Amino acid sequence: MAPRKLGIPLAVVMGAGLAFTLFPIFWLVMTAIKPPIDWNASPAVWLPSCPTFINFLTLFDPDAIREYGVGGVSQSATAAVFGSILASVASTCISVCIGLFSAIGISRYSKGSRSTPLVILSGRMFPPAAIAVPFVIIFSTVSLIDSYVGLIAVYVAVTLPFSTWMLKSFVDDLPREIEEAAMLDGMTRVKAHLTVTIPLIKGGLFSTTMLVFILNWSEFMFALVLSYSNISTIPVQLSKYVTATAGTLYGVQAALAVLAMLPLVAGGFLIQGHLARGMTFGAIKQ
Amino acid sequence: MHSTPEIQTALEKYENGVLSRRAFLRRMGILGVGFAAANAVSLSPLGATKAWAAINGAEERAWNLAKTAAAKAAKKHLTLLIPTGSIGNMTPYVDKWKNELGVTLEFIEEPDEVVHTKGMQEAVAKTGRYDVMMPTAMSYPDWLDSGLIYDLTDWVNKYQPDIFHDEWGVVFPASHHAQLYNGRVVGLLCDGDQITLLCRADHIKNSAKAKAFEDKHGYKLNLPKTWKEYYVLAQFMHDPKNNFYGSLEYRSRYYSKWMFMQRLASKGRLWFDQDMNPTFNSPEGLQVLEDMLAMNQYLHPDAFSFTWSSNYNAFGRGEGFMNIVWPSGFKYSTAPSTGPATTGKIMATVMPADTLPDGNLLYAGMFCWGYGFAISKYSANPELAYAYAQWMTSPTISADAIPYLGGYSDPYRINHMLKPTPRLVETYTKDYLKTLYNNIVNTVPDFCLPGGFEYQDALDKEVHACMTGEKKPKAALDAASRAFDRITRRVGKDKVRKSWFALTENLAAPIKKATGRSDWKM
Repeated sequence: MAPRKLGIPLAVVMGAGLAFTLFPIFWLVMTAIKPPIDWNASPAVWLPSCPTFINFLTLFDPDAIREYGVGGVSQSATAAVFGSILASVASTCISVCIGLFSAIGISRYSKGSRSTPLVILSGRMFPPAAIAVPFVIIFSTVSLIDSYVGLIAVYVAVTLPFSTWMLKSFVDDLPREIEEAAMLDGMTRVKAHLTVTIPLIKGGLFSTTMLVFILNWSEFMFALVLSYSNISTIPVQLSKYVTATAGTLYGVQAALAVLAMLPLVAGGFLIQGHLARGMTFGAIKQ
Repeated sequence: MHSTPEIQTALEKYENGVLSRRAFLRRMGILGVGFAAANAVSLSPLGATKAWAAINGAEERAWNLAKTAAAKAAKKHLTLLIPTGSIGNMTPYVDKWKNELGVTLEFIEEPDEVVHTKGMQEAVAKTGRYDVMMPTAMSYPDWLDSGLIYDLTDWVNKYQPDIFHDEWGVVFPASHHAQLYNGRVVGLLCDGDQITLLCRADHIKNSAKAKAFEDKHGYKLNLPKTWKEYYVLAQFMHDPKNNFYGSLEYRSRYYSKWMFMQRLASKGRLWFDQDMNPTFNSPEGLQVLEDMLAMNQYLHPDAFSFTWSSNYNAFGRGEGFMNIVWPSGFKYSTAPSTGPATTGKIMATVMPADTLPDGNLLYAGMFCWGYGFAISKYSANPELAYAYAQWMTSPTISADAIPYLGGYSDPYRINHMLKPTPRLVETYTKDYLKTLYNNIVNTVPDFCLPGGFEYQDALDKEVHACMTGEKKPKAALDAASRAFDRITRRVGKDKVRKSWFALTENLAAPIKKATGRSDWKM
């Protein structure tokens, strides 16, 4: 089917929608390159007259912003960036791996227990705040509080229902006959799944990985309650940019938020082909 | 920072006539002693050594305790849980503790709204990660009842931090509201959080405006003394076309309750009666909401979304005539970097009074927030932790610490306001320190009770709903009243009542009389 030409009214509507969607990102990036005096100027400064990278520098050298008369920033964001990368990457890998095999197991081999997927999903059926304090008590007993191992364990537990359910839907949509044909050719079940099932749901796997990574990357509450001083993540660090001399450091917060967006944007671009496929996988039922 | 042996030598030399008074004052200045303290010491009829020992006593006793405790401590390390943004008052002393005591100070910063939660979390986790914690006075009841913090009374009796001293103690009644729970000392105040009224002096002194005001209202344009005058002034100065508004009073969630409580206190009402019935659900409470609603038209358009810092910034940009703020707001508006349009143009006054049914004016203030130091029960070095808290809040060190930028501490001791050091005067001005003193002596307490944050939130939610038009005043106060009853029932009426009686026992005499507190029977 030849692509339809975009009419002017539709183009205007889509342009407006795009502008509306991208405005927060535009504002975030602009705030990140504004000097302190422009952060919350009134009337608002849309484009900074003197763009600066001082907010980015302050993330890694807290004294850098003193040249603008803002003191009291005491923490570098280095540990938080490192912590976010470690916790998110590790927990995403573990969650997706376990979720993938759970999905295959449920989709292909579940016999009798129809409630298994629901039991797995039940982990998401109550608000995270309800389990935060129990986690604190349990983790402090087993010395997992204020440690990346503990944080990763929580992230895996929280995102596993997502990865299992999402991947299960992709496996469900894949005809069994393809795997059976591979087994008829002499492959074991495991090999058939590794060489046939998983490559065929690659798009779904990428989109699931992306979603789980976003969930872990932006998680705030568990990171806040389970941390003292040994661990930190970007969302927790964002809440700490308040000083007595300048109040909330919007520019520094924006700079860290821009940095936090980069891996997601880059990852999205790299796998966009797979993402599009993953999102539409199974849209047409056979 | 005070180097004791050197000060001792200077004192002896002065008493022996080796140093002239001028040389003595200069020497003390070099040693880091504030001018006012040195001056008072030099003129004291007791003799310089005895006078110095008196005002310096709390600091010295704390330092000696710290030396003893540090020598015994297996791990010479103190961890402090502090609100983000408050570190600037403490960092100047880190090297002294490290170099002279071998004690490392580690600061764990958390957003200020999270500090209470982090403490409650530690009460169940019992990790011992914190030694000193810096909450607001509202945290003490819940923290003490959950076994998280020490009752400091025995240490206070033994090491005398001079918190009730009549020359350099914490100003009454904040000394009792912000440090005691059920009559026991549970925290040492390090931040005099009260709200005062700021006005733009350049507009008050503007002769054209002064004439126009007097012609219109029949009295001179000046700082408002009553809430009625405050309203009239806001109305007169309101000029939205020029981005200049009558006042910047808060109407945002989390801050609205303090604006309501302040006005309610001015009408001679506290938050509960002697039987723990909420008192705001009354004609006075309704009138307060009506007054606040009437005031809305003269407020800055961002009043409904202000945080403390966005409010300060808007005022500093010159977008309003009046503002009701904490002392840090004064610092903001007088510093060129944060108050580019207001530096040198600020006048301050105590909170406006209201007229009581008997025709008398009642001046009342709000002591709201106010950080202090509490000592964790799970600390490995509790005595060392206490020594730190007493040392930091001693009359001399606190006077030195408060003016440092990058911290929340504001004046709270008598000597901070009535015998200020030159640095305190430079930071706050002599007039404003006097205003702070005149206001703090009439302050009423925040919800420093078991369940205090819950009461606060319930009230704030309903006041805010009323301000946004979501609820009518009566419906909002009815709802807040019901929420208060629920909280009281859940926490335990007897328990809350006992601490409410203890909390309100110490009030300025006019407030005690106006609120009827003097007639309450337990």
